[in-house]
Amino acid sequence: MGVTCVSQMPVAEGKSVQQTVELLTRKLEMLGAEKQGTFCVDCETYHTAASTLGSQGWSAMVRSQLTATSTSQVQVILLPQPSQVAGIIGQTGKLMYVMHNSEYPLSCFALFENGPCLIADTNFDVLMVKLKGFFQSAKASKIETRGTRYQYCDFLVKVGTVTMGPSARGISVEVEYGPCVVASDCWSLLLEFLQSFLGSHTPGAPAVFGNRHDAVYGPADTMVQYMELFNKIRKQQQVPVAGIR
Amino acid sequence: MSGVRAVRISIESACEKQVHEVGLDGTETYLPPLSMSQNLARLAQRIDFSQGSGSEEEEAAGTEGDAQEWPGAGSSADQDDEEGVVKFQPSLWPWDSVRNNLRSALTEMCVLYDVLSIVRDKKFMTLDPVSQDALPPKQNPQTLQLISKKKSLAGAAQILLKGAERLTKSVTENQENKLQRDFNSELLRLRQHWKLRKVGDKILGDLSYRSAGSLFPHHGTFEVIKNTDLDLDKKIPEDYCPLDVQIPSDLEGSAYIKVSIQKQAPDIGDLGTVNLFKRPLPKSKPGSPHWQTKLEAAQNVLLCKEIFAQLSREAVQIKSQVPHIVVKNQIISQPFPSLQLSISLCHSSNDKKSQKFATEKQCPEDHLYVLEHNLHLLIREFHKQTLSSIMMPHPASAPFGHKRMRLSGPQAFDKNEINSLQSSEGLLEKIIKQAKHIFLRSRAAATIDSLASRIEDPQIQAHWSNINDVYESSVKVLITSQGYEQICKSIQLQLNIGVEQIRVVHRDGRVITLSYQEQELQDFLLSQFVMDLKVAARLWFSFLVTNVKTFQKVMFYKITNGVIFVGHSKKFSGIKWKVEILFIKWSCLCLHLALVYYDFFQMFPKEVSRNFDLKCLQINYKHKEEITSKRVLFLKIIIRKCLFSTFKLFTL
Repeated sequence: MGVTCVSQMPVAEGKSVQQTVELLTRKLEMLGAEKQGTFCVDCETYHTAASTLGSQGWSAMVRSQLTATSTSQVQVILLPQPSQVAGIIGQTGKLMYVMHNSEYPLSCFALFENGPCLIADTNFDVLMVKLKGFFQSAKASKIETRGTRYQYCDFLVKVGTVTMGPSARGISVEVEYGPCVVASDCWSLLLEFLQSFLGSHTPGAPAVFGNRHDAVYGPADTMVQYMELFNKIRKQQQVPVAGIR
Repeated sequence: MSGVRAVRISIESACEKQVHEVGLDGTETYLPPLSMSQNLARLAQRIDFSQGSGSEEEEAAGTEGDAQEWPGAGSSADQDDEEGVVKFQPSLWPWDSVRNNLRSALTEMCVLYDVLSIVRDKKFMTLDPVSQDALPPKQNPQTLQLISKKKSLAGAAQILLKGAERLTKSVTENQENKLQRDFNSELLRLRQHWKLRKVGDKILGDLSYRSAGSLFPHHGTFEVIKNTDLDLDKKIPEDYCPLDVQIPSDLEGSAYIKVSIQKQAPDIGDLGTVNLFKRPLPKSKPGSPHWQTKLEAAQNVLLCKEIFAQLSREAVQIKSQVPHIVVKNQIISQPFPSLQLSISLCHSSNDKKSQKFATEKQCPEDHLYVLEHNLHLLIREFHKQTLSSIMMPHPASAPFGHKRMRLSGPQAFDKNEINSLQSSEGLLEKIIKQAKHIFLRSRAAATIDSLASRIEDPQIQAHWSNINDVYESSVKVLITSQGYEQICKSIQLQLNIGVEQIRVVHRDGRVITLSYQEQELQDFLLSQFVMDLKVAARLWFSFLVTNVKTFQKVMFYKITNGVIFVGHSKKFSGIKWKVEILFIKWSCLCLHLALVYYDFFQMFPKEVSRNFDLKCLQINYKHKEEITSKRVLFLKIIIRKCLFSTFKLFTL
């Protein structure tokens, strides 16, 4: 697990998504990267159901549900405190994202927008079914990115097509630098590498890096970046993708 | 005392007056205490004259006193009256009773005196000794004791005998009932060895290893049935058992896993031939009932099936350089080129038909019992691992699986980490490695033995270590020449035989790795032989040289580098000396020739055309080349010198 940077590649003018992806992959292959299979990152959105009991009751019910039905092993970075829960109830319809990443095949990630990120094993999905009363999935919310995985020395590059339903919405580029786990140490190296094949579309430093400057980078941060990317793409939804012929 | 003030001391009598009467108004009337005389009378009356120093005399006196009291009373009537008065008037003179007792004693004594005086005269009364009848009364208590003891012992013996009788009766009953055993008691015995449960009206048992950690999907249930085909009229057979077990049909018979290594290449037509030579059943314990042997055999069949299933699964799934072939009941793999390892499941049912067709295609020596045993051990180890605390979940609600695998979700392990957790050798790989090692070891031993038998001088000794690993053995090889054992200690090799290669550690620190090729080891050992010979020859030569040197010291001849140059002797130029020197020179020449001969022609017939690409032997071969070339050069020099000196000798 190394420092990862997720960015979006804008579709080239006059070309379709697929063509841009092909361009990118060709550039990578010319660079000398080897193809190592495919990857997939997906995300589902859930609303917290507003029509439920008061905060105390909610948390108590949730806790009892969790203890009664949880068979999954859960390692939490930050547990939602009752005060936070109350805050959530106050703002109706706070979104929770449940994400999977093929890079971590046995894990499941659950995160709130600016809140905690939970890493659990795949039984968490079953748990979400049990918590239907409290988390309702938003309509047509599933968004995912699929593509090929390239290995270039210490770098792992994943170029994927972001799709929502049947339509392709954009391109995601993820670059991971394996040996380093502290973001601030290797950002410049990453930047240089990104510039070598992204050219002018190189992104700036992700917000996640700024938050925890010297802290160890973890998979949760990657998922946060993906979540932000998906949200950005979803907002672009209104603008139709020009160039699909 | 005079200076001390007098202290007043009050004295009070302890005894209070006895209360005679308590009046209605609470006043107490005391009994007047006894006066001195009254007290005295009371005490006198308490004197017991029957108690005295001698009890018998006193008794006699007492009884006689009592008996005589009335006659005594009659003899002195007036005294009697007085006594009678005295009896009713206790307040009289206190010594009355004393006086009466004394008087009666006196009377008795007088009577006794009279009787004795009459007896002394022997006229009217004589003394007769009392017969011994008085003795038995003395022994009576002892016989009584004996008799009573005897009686009580007889009573105890009776009880014990009764109990013994009962026991013998029950034992004989048991013996009789052995043949007619109860179904329930037999069921109890069965339950002590196997797990049983009742389903409906059937009794089922479990003979699989699932409770011991196996994951094989076979159910392994057997049924317990009552043996009711007993004809009560006929005699009950010796081995009758009221209980019978019915094992699943696919577990009938006996099975074992045959592991063998063959050198021939597998012929496609031969593959899949079922090796069905029936191994004699392992002897069951003499006292065990027939159902026990049956169930144990079935369990063994199940275990063999599991082993074979696991092996074949791995043979198909695991990718290896040379793919394994799985045909019917055989798994064939090639650990080394031109070597074939075949693992087969030999399951022979108890039918009489199949026994006829059992033919032994391969000789039993092929079968490697060690590997079969190891297979059993490995599968049991696998079973135990599934039950170990690494696999068993803590807390109990956690999912099954390896401890670290359970954490892989919450800790977001990526593929590399998951692979590192899961990488472990399968059963087949382990067995193949073991087979390779066994084969390599046996071949190394055969090579050493063949060399030892072929070459008599120098001798090779091999000391095999007893402490070996499944994958590694070691042997210490010594090459010595006869007579030079103490000197030629330098040729000592330690061979570590591994799975695919042999590592040789020389005494002087060199470490050489040989591959599994048989010829490499043989060549290497032969080269060591030659080294030993060289050392021996050099020593012999040096011995010779030292001899000559001392000779030279005496004779003033120069010797350089083992090659003797005949110096121009000034003093001693006799032919005799020259001949001697010549003789020595020629013998050295012969020795050198012999060495070269050994080097070149004896040991390495193919040396010239040999392919020197073998990296591991390059050092030795190079060395050899140099030495032999040097030697040839030496030879030339010596020959020239010898010839020259001979000519000189004859010309001079």
